[in-house]
Amino acid sequence: MDNLGFDGYAPTWCPGCGDWGIRVGIKGALEQLKLDPSQVFISFDIGCSGNMNDFLNAYAMHGLHGRSIPSAIGMKVANHTMDTIVIGGDGGIYGEGGNHFLHACRGNHDMTVIVHDNMVYGLTTGQVAPTAKKGYKSKSTPNGIIEVPVNALALAISQGATFVAQGFAGDARGLTEILKGAIMHKGFSLVNILQPCVTFNKVNTYQYYLQKVYKLDEKHDATDMHAAMERSMDILEEKYPTGILYQTERTTYHEQIDQLAGPLVNRAPNTSIDAFLPHLV
Amino acid sequence: MHFNWKIGGEAGFGIMTSGLVFSKIATRSGYHIFDYTEYPSLIRGGHNTYEVHVSDKLVVSPQWNIDLLVCLNKETYELHKYRLTKESMVMYDPDVFEISEIHDLIPMPFKTIQKEEKIQPNMLNTVAVAASVAVLGGDLDIYKAIIHQQFDRKGKEIVDFNIKLADLGHTHATKHHNVTSILTKQLEVTQQVVITGNESFSLASVNADCRYYAAYPMSPASSILSTLAVMQRTSKMVVRHPEDEISVVNSALGASFAGVRSAVGTSGGGFALMVEALSYSGVAEIPLVVFLAMRSGPATGMPTWTEQGDLLFAVNGGHGEFPKIVLTPGDPIEMFELTQKAFDLADIYQTPVIIASDKFLSESHTSVATSTLKKMATEHKIDRGKIVTTTKQKEYLRYKTEEDGISEMLIPGQRGIFYQANSYEHLEDSHTTEDGDERIKQVTKRAAKQQTYFKNHFKPPQVFGNPEAEIVLVSYGSNKGSILDAINLLDISVAYIHFTHVFPLDEEQILKVFKPFEGKRLILVENNSQGQFGQLLRMHTGINLEEKLLKFDGRPFWPEEIASYIGNKEDAGDKNDDVRIINEEVSPEEHHKQKKALMDKLVREMA
Repeated sequence: MDNLGFDGYAPTWCPGCGDWGIRVGIKGALEQLKLDPSQVFISFDIGCSGNMNDFLNAYAMHGLHGRSIPSAIGMKVANHTMDTIVIGGDGGIYGEGGNHFLHACRGNHDMTVIVHDNMVYGLTTGQVAPTAKKGYKSKSTPNGIIEVPVNALALAISQGATFVAQGFAGDARGLTEILKGAIMHKGFSLVNILQPCVTFNKVNTYQYYLQKVYKLDEKHDATDMHAAMERSMDILEEKYPTGILYQTERTTYHEQIDQLAGPLVNRAPNTSIDAFLPHLV
Repeated sequence: MHFNWKIGGEAGFGIMTSGLVFSKIATRSGYHIFDYTEYPSLIRGGHNTYEVHVSDKLVVSPQWNIDLLVCLNKETYELHKYRLTKESMVMYDPDVFEISEIHDLIPMPFKTIQKEEKIQPNMLNTVAVAASVAVLGGDLDIYKAIIHQQFDRKGKEIVDFNIKLADLGHTHATKHHNVTSILTKQLEVTQQVVITGNESFSLASVNADCRYYAAYPMSPASSILSTLAVMQRTSKMVVRHPEDEISVVNSALGASFAGVRSAVGTSGGGFALMVEALSYSGVAEIPLVVFLAMRSGPATGMPTWTEQGDLLFAVNGGHGEFPKIVLTPGDPIEMFELTQKAFDLADIYQTPVIIASDKFLSESHTSVATSTLKKMATEHKIDRGKIVTTTKQKEYLRYKTEEDGISEMLIPGQRGIFYQANSYEHLEDSHTTEDGDERIKQVTKRAAKQQTYFKNHFKPPQVFGNPEAEIVLVSYGSNKGSILDAINLLDISVAYIHFTHVFPLDEEQILKVFKPFEGKRLILVENNSQGQFGQLLRMHTGINLEEKLLKFDGRPFWPEEIASYIGNKEDAGDKNDDVRIINEEVSPEEHHKQKKALMDKLVREMA
């Protein structure tokens, strides 16, 4: 095989979908980091975002809706020499897989979770997502959603993620920079990416985001958890910071397991049971 | 020689520990054991029991009559007296309650000892075990060696104190009761391990080179998680306890995709959360071993009791059509063998393999010669089938069409290659497809694994007992021991057809086994209310077992129950099609009375 590029099939997303920009951002980051598809694990969730499985090459799993993080954890434990990325949507990661998300933050598993946040379910034709603003009307919530939105950034920071960032699909170059940082970061990285769904979300459009998104400036201290929490609260006023909100160092999950000094998949078999028998006599 | 020792008391009294200790005293004295525990789903309060069936011959089931009942409280006597005879020894404290019925009484002043020695009630079991050793003519030094093993790391003071309590119990019992020779140390003692189904699975998974085990605690599978967790420093397995069973199984699929042998363990409720991922394992062809320890359902059911109620759920678990293998070991040795095989099968067929156990097998100990286990472990050769670390294919096709249904699976990492484990229907190269012809190709390819399995790895049921017998029991899994011992109890000849490879079922090979028994009295024996295996067998082979012996009160079969059922029906000349359900429509008291009458009759007949 000589097609070592990341380009797979031509994407089938709707023209103008934010996914296009996100894919450009991810591909750019991987290429600039001089990785090739055989050096990367990607766990794709189910949804329009997860459909990138055929458009972006890697050793990949395209598993079950909401379960992309657990699968990625297994991949990383088995072979931690591989850079590991999760690509999913707001529904898969914060809804169906919300439990996995918060526990993965706690574990500081060394992986990058990229969330396509467009506040709707695109692939199932436009029902509300857990990140939608309270009152958002959709096919499944004709009277407006009752729940307030998940604050993914605050959740990640408070649950132990060590790299928390937000990007905007309309700014592929900015995304590439954030994603490079996230992939290089040792530990659990969340990159929440704001994107319009041009087909089903007529509220959170490119125009909407261009007005509401702002870039974190140099004055923001990403090592300060309180400052990061404060910025994450801006979304309550529909102000969306982009850039790295929070970054800290903490020993990763696999580094704390003695038997993972080397990659689990490559070690020699160790199948003797003799040491365990005396306890049973 | 058969002897049944039973201890009972409040949860928190150390019943479980002392029961296991008694089992080990027996095996270290040269005897075989089978033990069985009952306990409620509580940590304190409630009634716990532990019974140890000891014999100088191999023993594979519990025994109905209790020969020595150790009562750490009055409740123990009240709850279990229906299994006592006049000859049964009963150890009890006359200061706590009186016994009016005739037994071979062993008075033991537990209350006074507790007061004088200023000890917690959970230390009285030491006195009771030592007193038992005394009246059974056992070697107290064997027990003292175990006390050292238990408490040496806690310091000399604690060791000495426990030894003092043991001496106290021993001396008192020797003084107040005659000494028998039941537990007299045998001249030749072969070293044996005392092992549960769960421990056997744990050891075999290490031996099979399983490198990733994940589980969310759930009785009766939980002890595997703790056993493997303790072993991991030495075994180098990664053992995890994730946030829920969904995470458990999907992380195992991730690890398996990345190339390491992976397994998960759970009971019915947790398995219910895993079935979507089984389906993913099936379509994406990711090897996976699932240990399913059944307990009484549905829903939370009776968490610490036994049942074979999830067999059809295991067989049918997962949406869509995909190949799957279900194995049902009958004892710890079969568990070891089939666990080794399960990991091979998962790799060879790149599909989920379920080992279905139940509380009875998972938590009962059996004695097995250490050398037997070691031999099985060293003789096993791991077979990963078509899993490779490098491929010679020019254009690597993960789901390449093959006649045997099995494509080459490349462990991710080889440079210049990539592919996906795709839960969507896919092309040979693993990209998503909705094309009709490609769909047919892949469905057919996956389904072809079944024929390959029938040809290479399916094992038809094994026939035990007299192959000429007129009466034939048919069952699977943990019922094996009680059925075999029931056959030994009867003086009429009975055969047993034992299934371990319960799904998929190969009609041709199974019909061959059943052929010689045409026209005989065939009885299905199952620990559930619907005869689930009978349904499965009929569906796949056309064999219809109309006579059924079913039990679903949360308890396993006792051999005496099976034997008396067969014996009574034979006596009455009643061979009509019938379903006999143990415990149906009778009050517990009435049931106990009936059972006692049956057992007495049986015991008389055998004498």
